[in-house]
Amino acid sequence: MALWGMVIDLDRCTGCQACVMACKAENNVPAVGNKEATKGRTISWMQLLTETDEEHHEEKVRFIPRPCLQCDDPPCTKVCPVYATYRNPEGIVAQIYGRCIGCRFCMAACPYNAKFFNWYTYQKEQPGQNPDVSLRPKGVVEKCTFCHHRLQKARERAHAENREIQPGEYNTACADACPAQAITFGDLADPGSEVSKLARSPRAFKLQEELGTKPKVIYLTEGEGGG
Amino acid sequence: MVDHKDDYEDILLAPIAQTGSGFYWAVAGLSVFILWGAIAYAVQLYEGLGVTGLQQPVSWGFYVTNFVFFIGISHAGTLISAILRLSRAEWRRPITRMAEVITAMVLFIGAGQILVDMGRPDRILNVIRHGRYQSPLLWDATSISAYLSASLTYLYLPMIPDIAILRDRLGKWKLFYSVLALGWTGTEQQQRVLNRAIAIMCVIVIPVAVSVHTVVSFVFSMTLQPMWHSTIFGPYFVVGAIFSGIAALIVAMIIFRKAYGLEPYLKPIHFRYLGQLLLIMSLLWFYFTFAEYLTGYYGAEPEEMKIFWSKFSGPFWPFFWAMVLCNLFIPLACLVRLGRRTVGKVLAASLSIIVGMWLERFIIVVPTLSNPRLPFPQAIYVPTWVELGEFAGSLALFALFYLLFTKVFPIISIWEIREGRAEGLHEVEERVKSYLPDEVKGAA
Amino acid sequence: MENLRSPSDQLIKKLQWIWMIGFLLLVLGIITWFIHLMRAALWLGDVPSAAIGIPLVAIPIFLALAGVVFYVFWGLAVRGRDR
Repeated sequence: MALWGMVIDLDRCTGCQACVMACKAENNVPAVGNKEATKGRTISWMQLLTETDEEHHEEKVRFIPRPCLQCDDPPCTKVCPVYATYRNPEGIVAQIYGRCIGCRFCMAACPYNAKFFNWYTYQKEQPGQNPDVSLRPKGVVEKCTFCHHRLQKARERAHAENREIQPGEYNTACADACPAQAITFGDLADPGSEVSKLARSPRAFKLQEELGTKPKVIYLTEGEGGG
Repeated sequence: MVDHKDDYEDILLAPIAQTGSGFYWAVAGLSVFILWGAIAYAVQLYEGLGVTGLQQPVSWGFYVTNFVFFIGISHAGTLISAILRLSRAEWRRPITRMAEVITAMVLFIGAGQILVDMGRPDRILNVIRHGRYQSPLLWDATSISAYLSASLTYLYLPMIPDIAILRDRLGKWKLFYSVLALGWTGTEQQQRVLNRAIAIMCVIVIPVAVSVHTVVSFVFSMTLQPMWHSTIFGPYFVVGAIFSGIAALIVAMIIFRKAYGLEPYLKPIHFRYLGQLLLIMSLLWFYFTFAEYLTGYYGAEPEEMKIFWSKFSGPFWPFFWAMVLCNLFIPLACLVRLGRRTVGKVLAASLSIIVGMWLERFIIVVPTLSNPRLPFPQAIYVPTWVELGEFAGSLALFALFYLLFTKVFPIISIWEIREGRAEGLHEVEERVKSYLPDEVKGAA
Repeated sequence: MENLRSPSDQLIKKLQWIWMIGFLLLVLGIITWFIHLMRAALWLGDVPSAAIGIPLVAIPIFLALAGVVFYVFWGLAVRGRDR
């Protein structure tokens, strides 16, 4: 059984946000508009966080692209009252828009703020959207799904051709788009995959690992073990 | 049952027998706020939760605060009624019914807040069809439905003899009262059945009530968020609930005492005892608050300190310090000496505490969400007219429910007052005798 | 003294039974709901400890409630009336 994970090399990340834009285009993430953005309601499944040094506020220390970290012990699935978010056997934390009652408990529980809410009906069907990804109605929670629709397409193609899916066949939009190739995606259960090898690097660390969420997005710190 | 008819008993039946213009003015006034709330909710239903001030990451604000606040007030009934009944405190007699009604009515309003807060209220049945018991929200649903059923039962059973009085003396709505009175005629056997049932209910209702606000606190303490993930939350919320519940009860008592002329029944001594209870709860609340914040401050964990300072001196400082003022200093000033002007002092303290406890819920819910762990900018939450309208409408709706109840059933338990006169004095004398050393037979 | 067989008395008795049965059905409905949730969670393998533990506490409370109410109903309206 595959275990999908991601490694993000912070030394390569330039903060260009190509991953953010690619994700929005791929997943029909709505542009909430100027007014809503001012109110703090931007939806950005992949978000670029800027961590500044405590003492030297003006110097930006690092950029942290933060998708949903697809935790193996997710605090958000524990608190969902209706099974609208759950961890599937391949490690992806799923979000079922049709079941969600919009209580926002998962949003309150997520220590990474990886979940977003549709405060209004932010978009209707329009040309130019990705037909593989459903549009979210108002009142439900959404988040990064590791481009799960791409996995489904790759699986179906492989099934039609009577074979297993090859490594590299299923890649997330952000990993595809990064010009610095900072994002590597793949099967963590396969010890030979690129992402597994990188995850074992001495530079690897997890965000807020002490919380015990067991995230599957692993970061590589900058420099030779510094940062 | 010996019919020790009180000279003042007609006062208790008067609100049901006649309706003055005051009632209609009150209903009109409340309806204005309810209308505001209804319009606010309709707008929210049509447009979406975006009409509130909620945002990323402050996804819970007024509605969740109100939910905790109203459920907290519901603890008035249980403490006063059940514990005082179990401890056979005679001064509870005119108070129990008012307390029980608060609980029954406010639970509906509290549960309603969750409905208002949902993004998809049309999918509420999902909670029933697909509920998960790992989620504290389901614990809430279970606990609150148990408490609602138990408190409605606990309100109804002691009302039966009073309903029988209404059936026999009032003249109108005879069928309604006859059905509800369950054929009560006051025989020995019936009294035994009823007293036993009420005693059992007293014992059932207390742990259910404690569980309710404990599981409401678990909604916060079961997450990993700083200043939420604290073991003190269970007892802290229960203490806060009892605290705000007594305050709400006092306010209701004073309002209806004035409106219905209940001064013969609700005497300064009752307010004095309730005021003393309120003072104890204020100190107890402060003790828990102090322990909670000292622990956070001493450990100085960076995430917790971010939130601590945002409450102490940051954007939330007016609410935090107003809370301390309203929950500790004003009650202390009012309640330490209750000799003269008891009712006025107790009223001032209670109003202050109701405001203070709402602020306490707000201070728990919003600052933690405003200060996420990851490097986000601190969010400022400002409620909109929709949220304020919903709050005003909820309060008004609760007041209206309560008011309508008093027009249908007596707000003070007639038979319990009679029982107090008939049996209470004698029983208390016997009890006090049993505490003292027994008299030696044939002593000089 | 009203004749026990007078229509108004019969109506009252009928309504009281309806009122009581209604309450018992409500309690039964809630208990059914708890059992439904428990079975769904066990079928899905979703935290069986919570799924069993919580209904295990909640159902007896509701049964106790129904018991008390019915005891009062029986003692007052049924037995009490015959005397």
